Amino acid sequence: MIRTLFVLLVLLVLAAAATSVIPHLKMRTELDGAGLEYARRGLEDTGSINLVTAVIVAYRGLDTLGEVVVLFSAATSVMLILSLFPLGRGPTDPSFIVAHTARVLPAPIMLLAVYFTTHSHLSPGGGFPGGTIMASAFLLVMLGSSSTPAGSKILPALEALSGTTFGLLGLWGTMTLGQFLNNRVIGIGNPGYLVSAGIIPLVSLAIGVKVASEFSGIFAAFRKSGGNR
Amino acid sequence: MNAYMPYVLCLVLFCIGIFAILSKKNIIKIILGIIIAEYAVNLFLVMVAYKAGGRAAIFSPNRGEILPEVMVDPLPHALVLTSIVIGLATTAFMIALAIRLYGKYGTFDITRMRELRG
Repeated sequence: MIRTLFVLLVLLVLAAAATSVIPHLKMRTELDGAGLEYARRGLEDTGSINLVTAVIVAYRGLDTLGEVVVLFSAATSVMLILSLFPLGRGPTDPSFIVAHTARVLPAPIMLLAVYFTTHSHLSPGGGFPGGTIMASAFLLVMLGSSSTPAGSKILPALEALSGTTFGLLGLWGTMTLGQFLNNRVIGIGNPGYLVSAGIIPLVSLAIGVKVASEFSGIFAAFRKSGGNR
Repeated sequence: MNAYMPYVLCLVLFCIGIFAILSKKNIIKIILGIIIAEYAVNLFLVMVAYKAGGRAAIFSPNRGEILPEVMVDPLPHALVLTSIVIGLATTAFMIALAIRLYGKYGTFDITRMRELRG
C-alpha cells in the first residue's frame, strides 16, 4: 500500500501548505488595485457597460488572442488524434426522443447564443460562452441525425475567417492609432446601446464564431470516430 | 473560523481532485479528477474577486445607479471566463487521448497499459 501512503502524504503536504496560507485570506471589503482602476475608468475608456467584457476584449485583448490560439491548437490536436486512424463503425442512429428534440431546440439555443455574443458589452455573456452555446446547438443537430451535418464542411473556413477578423481588427488599431486592438478606431458611441463600445461587439462576434466552429469541429471529430470497435 | 470556511471547502474540493488523479486507475476517473481540481481553482479565483455585498461588474443603463465602488473585481472574472473555455478544450483533448489509448489497449485501466511503463 505504498501508493495509498504516497497519496495521503501528498494530500497532507497540500493541507499543511494551505493551513499556513488560509489564515491570511480575508474576504475583501472594498475594491482595490487593478480592479478599482478598471471599474472607475472602464466605462469612459471603452464605452462598454459590462466591465468583464471590457477587460477581456479591450484591456486584455492581446491575452485573449493568445487564449484563442491555445483553443485553436487544442482543437487541431483533437481532430488530428481522432482522424489519424478511424476507430469505430461511425455514428449510430439517434433515439426517438433525441431525434425529435433535435428538430425543435436548436433554433432557440442558437437565438440565445446570438444574443449572448452580440450583447456582450451590455449584459452578462460574451464571445466565449456565446460560442460554446452555439456549438451545443450544432452538437444537438449532429446527435439528431445519423450522419455528419452538411454544414461541418465549412467549419474550417469559418474558423479561419473569424480568426483573421480578430487579427485584422487589432491591426486596424495599430495602423490608425498606433496601438494594437485600440477600441477607439470607430467611435465608442452612446454606452448602453447595442451599437456602441467601439470594436468590442465585432471582436466578441469574431471570438464567438471562432469558439463555435472550433468546438463544433471537436464534436464532429468525436462523432466520426465514435462507436465500438 | 467561519470566515475561512469557503476557502477550506475550496481546498477540500481541490484535494478531492488531486486524490482522484493520484489514486484512481481508470483513466476516465483521472480526467474527472483533473476537471474537479480545475474547477476548484476557478472557484478560488471567483472567491478572491468577491467582496461582501458586491454587485456584478456591469453598470446599469441608467447611469449612477451602480457605482464602481460597490462592484466586485472584474479582472478575475475575465480570467475565469476564459479559463473555463480553455478547460473544456483541454478536456476534449484528454478524452481524445483516452479514446486512442482504449483503441490500442482495449482498456481504460492504466495498470494494464504495460508498454507505457518506463
